[in-house]
Amino acid sequence: MVEIVFLIPFLTGIAAFFLSGASGRMLLVITGAFHLLFSVMLLAGWSEPFYPAYFSVTPEGLLSLIVISLLFFLISIYTTAYIKKSDIRSENIFTGSMLLFLSTMTMVTLSDHIMVMWIAIEATTLASAPLIYTHRSAASLEATWKYVLVCSVGIALALLGSVLITLSMDMGRVDVPVSFSALTAVAKQLDPLWLKTGFVFILVGYGTKMGLAPMHTWLPDAHGEAPSPASALLSGVLLNCAYLGIFKTHKIMIAAGLESFSGTILMVFGLMSMLAAATFILKQTEYKRLLAYSSIENMGIIAFGTGIGGLGAYGAMLCLIHHSLIKSSLFLASGNIFLAFGSRLIEDTGSLVRRLPQTFIAFFSGFIGIAGLPPFGIFIGELFIIMGAFSNGHYVAAGIFILSLCVVFAGFANHVLKISFEGYRTSVRMEESINMIWPPYALLLTSLLLCFWIPETFSWNISQAVKAIGGVF
Amino acid sequence: MINLVDAILSLVLLSILLSFGSSRLPVLIKVIGFQGIVVSCVPLFIGNDLSATGIAFNIATLSIRGIIIPLSIYIAIKKVAIRRDVEPIYGHHASMLAWLGLIVAAAFISDKFNLPAITDHALLMPTAIALLAGGMFLLMGHRNAIAMVLGYIMMENGIYLVGTTFSTSSRHIVEFGILLDVLAGVMIMAVILQNIKKQFDDVDTELLKNLKE
Repeated sequence: MVEIVFLIPFLTGIAAFFLSGASGRMLLVITGAFHLLFSVMLLAGWSEPFYPAYFSVTPEGLLSLIVISLLFFLISIYTTAYIKKSDIRSENIFTGSMLLFLSTMTMVTLSDHIMVMWIAIEATTLASAPLIYTHRSAASLEATWKYVLVCSVGIALALLGSVLITLSMDMGRVDVPVSFSALTAVAKQLDPLWLKTGFVFILVGYGTKMGLAPMHTWLPDAHGEAPSPASALLSGVLLNCAYLGIFKTHKIMIAAGLESFSGTILMVFGLMSMLAAATFILKQTEYKRLLAYSSIENMGIIAFGTGIGGLGAYGAMLCLIHHSLIKSSLFLASGNIFLAFGSRLIEDTGSLVRRLPQTFIAFFSGFIGIAGLPPFGIFIGELFIIMGAFSNGHYVAAGIFILSLCVVFAGFANHVLKISFEGYRTSVRMEESINMIWPPYALLLTSLLLCFWIPETFSWNISQAVKAIGGVF
Repeated sequence: MINLVDAILSLVLLSILLSFGSSRLPVLIKVIGFQGIVVSCVPLFIGNDLSATGIAFNIATLSIRGIIIPLSIYIAIKKVAIRRDVEPIYGHHASMLAWLGLIVAAAFISDKFNLPAITDHALLMPTAIALLAGGMFLLMGHRNAIAMVLGYIMMENGIYLVGTTFSTSSRHIVEFGILLDVLAGVMIMAVILQNIKKQFDDVDTELLKNLKE
């Protein structure tokens, strides 16, 4: 009865729409705790789905689920403190949507049926749309409109891709359930032309949701306009969910012996995203959009690593996990900055080190982590990807990869230094409260811990997931 | 039987022409509703599944695609009471020409596919492609937010036509889940439309260009 993991937040989410502020917040944290508990139980080996035709527990799904669960629990605690200090008006809609969002994302990680996966990913769009419109401003309305329209149209293409993959079954005269696991097992018999076409549509579709350039246009707006806890979820785990759809299709492609086709496309989209992020990050004026472009860059890194395969695939998996932890921590820290300075513009902030010293530690360490510097995990992930690229002979691609990393680092560092040390603001609007400080710290510490010690079941799942896409451990 | 399917599909092709040529939103909505009804009926005619549950699901699909979705957009329009004329960016004549090109291209492409499942129905594949591409065209060719939503629905109709008719392996419950997603998506878009109208007093997406880079 694995399905209970997403049914609980679904039910509590609906209940939260009818609850008042304080009890809704309580429900948010309690659901988060239960969800974490169930996810750990899944990791410990409890894995019997009630509907095995639609759901299953896969290594890559389990990894994403654990990350989602941990992030949501910490973010829900942060949210309780954040809501009190911010001007969120319809609080019940916010908490209800957060819980539904959790439910739909969990469903993505557990779904095995191609169409159920699509249903779940589209449902994440719908559940998160009200979160972006929380502030009820003209800009947030625009961001929501772009988000819903661009993602829905993109994901509609992924639906077409999924249909084409079932068509490749019909053409290859294969009669198995339309699930990723069954299709991977019989991949060699599928019609290669339709499989390739299906993959391209799925990559473009889910790639829109993942934030790959040039379909990324919605992402900075949505991440910038949503309240910080929601941005942390959007960037930390929603992008991973979309990646999961691409990952599982890529798995079929590899099993069918078409890895050079899908790998090359993934690499091209990955590099394009990195270049786009590098171009736009230099002249950002808002710190949340800065973080959003960094997410586009990281999704590019992950797509690139996945496309390379081998050591690169392992690096991509590490980047995926650590990006979630570090980026969500950065978004939570940015929430503190927003509440304290009352503005999203970089030029309105400054002297973070003196005004909000505890937030500064989280923000600056997060920057070091996301920029790919040791001792955080993204450093190892990127190193593996570069090594993988060289060992597979992709010298030019590796060159572009390193160049974009440098440009992004330079741009990012410039802005972060401004926020942290420049300016002489004397007063801020908010005192740092304990519940707004320790969740980002906990996320960063988890990332740090995972560099030195990985629990055995966790590392087994990573190696299994990576092995399936031709990676080496 | 065979001719009947092709006959109603040819009406769908004509309705795409109407959606390109018309500048009145209520007409567009009716066209979308008509297409929704036809694409939900097609699986019944080509006889994939005539069991009781199959027919029940078909009726549910028909009422959602053909009635509820267009109606929700219509109500949204009524509520926001905006100017009901929309002009494609490229103008009507260019749109008509694009429609002709679209049909020719769709027929040409589907000829190449050579799918055994649908050899009896010559117009099935061209119509599906034309709906998909036509939806895209509506989506990109308009600055009016309502027309963009209608384009999205038309695209979805096309994908549904591809899905239900070509693949025999999909299950009703899954199809229904997809349909509910689309329905919820359209509902949310309708709510956003109303808010856009409230905020900007218009639904021109030119007004939605403040967020950049």
